[in-house]
Amino acid sequence: MDDKFQKLMQEKKRFLIPALIFLLVFYFMLPLSLIFLPEAMNGTSFVAGITWGWLYAFLQLPMTWIMVWAYHIKSKRFDRLVEEIKQEELS
Amino acid sequence: MNLTYFLFFICIIVCTLIITYWAAKRSKTTNRFYTAAGSLTGFQNGMAIAGDFISAASFLGIVGTIAINGYDGFLYSIGFLVSYLIVLFLIAEPVHRLGTYSLGDVICSRFPGDNMRWLMAIGAFTISILYMIPQLVASGFLLRLLLDIDYSISVVIIGGLMTIYVVFGGMVATSWVQIVKTVVLMSGTFMLSLIVFSNFNWNTADLIERVKEGTPLGGEFFLPGHLFENPVEFLSLQLALIFGTAGLPHILIRLFTVRNTLEVRRSLISSTWIIGLFYLMTLILGLGTVALLGYHTMIEADPTGNLAAPLLAKEVGGDFLLAFISAIAFTTIVAVVAGLVISATTAFSHDIYHHIIKKGKSTEKEQLRAARWTALGIGLISTLFALRLETINVTFLVSMTFIVAAASNFPVLLLTIYWRRFNQIGAISGMASGLAASLILVVLGPHIMNPDGGWIAREAVISLHNPGIIAIPIGFLGAYLGTVFSPKQSQTEAEFRRFFKKSQTGIESRGDSA
Repeated sequence: MDDKFQKLMQEKKRFLIPALIFLLVFYFMLPLSLIFLPEAMNGTSFVAGITWGWLYAFLQLPMTWIMVWAYHIKSKRFDRLVEEIKQEELS
Repeated sequence: MNLTYFLFFICIIVCTLIITYWAAKRSKTTNRFYTAAGSLTGFQNGMAIAGDFISAASFLGIVGTIAINGYDGFLYSIGFLVSYLIVLFLIAEPVHRLGTYSLGDVICSRFPGDNMRWLMAIGAFTISILYMIPQLVASGFLLRLLLDIDYSISVVIIGGLMTIYVVFGGMVATSWVQIVKTVVLMSGTFMLSLIVFSNFNWNTADLIERVKEGTPLGGEFFLPGHLFENPVEFLSLQLALIFGTAGLPHILIRLFTVRNTLEVRRSLISSTWIIGLFYLMTLILGLGTVALLGYHTMIEADPTGNLAAPLLAKEVGGDFLLAFISAIAFTTIVAVVAGLVISATTAFSHDIYHHIIKKGKSTEKEQLRAARWTALGIGLISTLFALRLETINVTFLVSMTFIVAAASNFPVLLLTIYWRRFNQIGAISGMASGLAASLILVVLGPHIMNPDGGWIAREAVISLHNPGIIAIPIGFLGAYLGTVFSPKQSQTEAEFRRFFKKSQTGIESRGDSA
């Protein structure tokens, strides 16, 4: 029965560790780029009238929503695995 | 106070009291009192989490901060939102699976014992009270400004209401007051944002042009650098914001109010949507204030910018809209402080009274009575404190709460759930060093030590307003060193595996297999 649990944890790690790294990098790159690259961030981006600074700040919102949603989708699979472990535990 | 205001306020007070009455009939067991018996759906809980989280400081403060500082003001709200990802990925599901009523339950499921429980209870209690007092003080000023009622009367009204909700209705009433608050707050700000846009014929470029005319910063308004000149300060704040939420007891205990982890995830999905959309609207309101009123009118009314949203409402919608927005601000305050009362109550009556004093043997009836008396006591004491603190500036306590949470509760929770070698001594030293570091750093910092007007009139030893960048590593380091230098492993490998499995799957394995 521990094999299944190992598998669950591996799958969780495979999703969560990259997701966390991405999230922290994406989040902290905003203050860091504002500190170290102020000129570039104040330049106009490909969206007319919006600087890179604003664009990047706005992108944090969809980033959060997409990550939450991706985790939700992934978790359905995790829940199935948990259910299987439970079944084995009972039998 | 004219009739419109009066009617709005009476309406809100009556509605929330009806909710409380209805909830009181349903709060007859401890399970109901502390967690609404897990009866909320994910979406309802998501609204309640947003209602618990968005304080009047967010609603009024961030609109004002954006109106004054432009871009940098908006960055504040980003941190608040992204912090929910940390909660969802690392903390939310294990907390739901391991705890029953409090964060003490979560930690004690790995490290049982009175010492650990004391520490968690004191931590949760301190954070909730530290957060509640400035909210109450701010609410007193706010109602005085908006409605022209005396500071003490406003504090007594809000303190009284929050106490009534929690004493009689427990978590059920608190949750529903918070849900109502979220609905009212979101629809109010949405309406106001639409009105702002309609004033510019739905043309964003027009709005931006007018903002540039309205602010003394001109085009600079849209560029970063007006609020945070010091890069270290800026990073430090971002650090406290993103890790703070994962250590806030009043938010985390809301995760016990749903049935299973699927609903936990749904709660956090809904709350991130609500909070994200809300902060987008505060941006519109902040810009709208500068564009329609101009910087100077706003600063004349209140130099902190806290009155930006109400002034904007008055400008675009007259007295009626102002009354409506004031009523929203009022609901916002009572919903947040009620959430803090219940969190402090749980820490005291469940952890300290039931588990430590009564050794977990008090009856259902005793527990419920203890919880109600505790809530009454906490409500009374914090109201009295808020009344005494009228002349003292306590707003720094709000940002301190996030630092304390991120430096003490968050490391201990995270390491308890995931670190195999972590032990009780590590948990205690982590909690203590995080708490001590944040308190000492704030006392040595410019909030307290300030040549003009500080409590200690001297140059600050540490120049950071937000010492998170020092305090958070100290919390983690304390936990690590405590673990490494403690003499023996308090837990066997098998015990950890059993605990870890429960935290990840909710399955309680029997001793044999693990």
